[in-house]
Amino acid sequence: MLDLWASLPPALQDVLFALALIAPGLLAGALVLRGLRPLPLVGAMLRRFAFVNALFVALIAVSVGLGVGLLAQERGLRQGSARSAEKFDLIVAAPGSEVTVMLAAVYLQPSDMALVTGAQYAEIAAAEGVAFAAPIAFGDSYQGAPVVGTTVDFVTHLAGPLAEGRVFSAAEEAVAGAYAPVDVGGSFTPAHGHGPAAEHEAHEGFAYAVTGRMAPTGSPWDRALLVPVEGVWAVHGLANGHAPDDPRIGPPFVPEMMPGTPAVLVHATELWGNYALKSRFTRGDLMAFFPGTVLAQLHALMRDVRSAMSLMAVLTQVLVTLSVLIGLMILVRLIARSLALLRAIGAPLRFVFAVVWAYSAALILSGATLGLALGWGAARGISAVITARTDVLVTANLGWPEAHLVAGFISLTLFMALLPAWLAVRRPLLTDLRT
Amino acid sequence: MTPALHVEDLRVTSREGRVLLDVPLLTLAPGQSLALRGASGAGKSTLLHVLSGLVRPSAGRVVWGGQDIAALTEDARARFRRETLGLIFQDCHLFEELSALGNAGLASAFAPARDRAPIRLAAASWLAALGLGQAGSRAVDSFSGGERQRIAVARALAGGPPVILADEPTAALDRANADALGADLVRLAAEGGRTLIVVTHDAALAARMGRQITLADGRIVEDTDA
Repeated sequence: MLDLWASLPPALQDVLFALALIAPGLLAGALVLRGLRPLPLVGAMLRRFAFVNALFVALIAVSVGLGVGLLAQERGLRQGSARSAEKFDLIVAAPGSEVTVMLAAVYLQPSDMALVTGAQYAEIAAAEGVAFAAPIAFGDSYQGAPVVGTTVDFVTHLAGPLAEGRVFSAAEEAVAGAYAPVDVGGSFTPAHGHGPAAEHEAHEGFAYAVTGRMAPTGSPWDRALLVPVEGVWAVHGLANGHAPDDPRIGPPFVPEMMPGTPAVLVHATELWGNYALKSRFTRGDLMAFFPGTVLAQLHALMRDVRSAMSLMAVLTQVLVTLSVLIGLMILVRLIARSLALLRAIGAPLRFVFAVVWAYSAALILSGATLGLALGWGAARGISAVITARTDVLVTANLGWPEAHLVAGFISLTLFMALLPAWLAVRRPLLTDLRT
Repeated sequence: MTPALHVEDLRVTSREGRVLLDVPLLTLAPGQSLALRGASGAGKSTLLHVLSGLVRPSAGRVVWGGQDIAALTEDARARFRRETLGLIFQDCHLFEELSALGNAGLASAFAPARDRAPIRLAAASWLAALGLGQAGSRAVDSFSGGERQRIAVARALAGGPPVILADEPTAALDRANADALGADLVRLAAEGGRTLIVVTHDAALAARMGRQITLADGRIVEDTDA
């Protein structure tokens, strides 16, 4: 049986799981409503206490929305961070923390790091199977946007064809990320360092002219300003990697003239070649790692946190379900007089039961549907805030986990709504009639 | 067919053991009209509730057309009310968000499929007979007290019951409306050969009935024919 389940396509598994979750609630509904038509009366009762019912629906919607939003947001964040690392096949850096290098080189979070030397870079760039090896030299900024020294190969690899203009062809030129604070045709003088500690006059007298703009990548690089690595070296008063009379930019660099770089992005000619290169440059004086793997390890570490969050979300839903149940019992008291009238004029108990259940079901389904929309909206809103703050494009869409959560919630509450319906038909008829 | 009523050794006691109703014998021929009178707390409404099956007696038999409803289950008593009785309450007990026709035809909501259309047609017909034919689609909160009680009467009659039980149907109405409603009730009951039992303080309404029973302390103290 498990083998059969495992052999099914994931989408089919999701559909079947959702159906299995919602089936008990729907089955209960089908049995309760079979052959009856309580909806006109339910509609009248809903309209009669419109404000209270709307409040109840809103409470369900908010609680469902929180669960849905939380799940969608967490997945969106994971997918966004993974997408940001997609283009970074293999990073080679001086020995240290892979996480620190990844955060600096992929997510452009400033950090002090040891440098890969010119000789080491030359060895990496010349290695068999390397399509290109791009230095990634960070440390400067402009109006909060990181200024990163690299090569034309990296710019093209990262964002494909430019959205506007051309790539840099001189050390004083730059390509702006899609949302960088300088337009094509503009120029800027970088500050040394980042944030409040940045030294704005350190590179006074030097300016980069922006010649092109990248298409959006959905990564922090969209706010970056990419410049030739020679420019970064030059602005810091270092050799620029080439012979003094050589006006070229880009590799090959003269090892003795190359000041070093915090990280090197290595792109292999073949996918499998990455593994050989990683193995080769994982050694005492260098470390090589796949950012995707480090990210996966981070996500795996956070899996426990995620599990705890999921458990909390489920517990919250259980509490909400109990609250819904208690709320329904209170709401039933509001309609008790109408129910007593129905019983007095001869309505079968099954019909009265169906009215109460359908009334509850209408509130639950409305709340859950609204909650789904609310969760989606909240997730989108929070995603926009996270994207604005981190530049990691987080797109939170509703997926099967949310559908499963809502299906389970609906099913459980529809099933539990049988209880207030049962209690309603056991209420004292005359007392309710005289209320 | 209108059933005869036969009540025997009927007792209703409170939880504390107080006797609320003690009726050794009460019979009513099919098609008779009866007013139940007495002071507040005399047991009129309790008797009406027992006769309608809304209250199960502590002892005795309540036989309608050969069927002892005191021995029935709650669902069976509901079926009895549905098929045999038309109930009218002092407070009309209308669904405020439904139209006059929706209220008058309320029983169609839980009737078997084959009976739904006839009940709705009958409801429209009774509304017309009670002078509300043009107002069937209006929400009931726009009607006066007298009109609302007429809608309740139409609801009681829509299922075609052979017995009508009314609990203070004119208590909330002014004299003119009370007289008109009383006349309508008696006329419609008589036209259909229905048994009519009315609990009332209203001497004018009671005088329209063929028989009057007065209760005191849960016992019948007077039983007179018109």
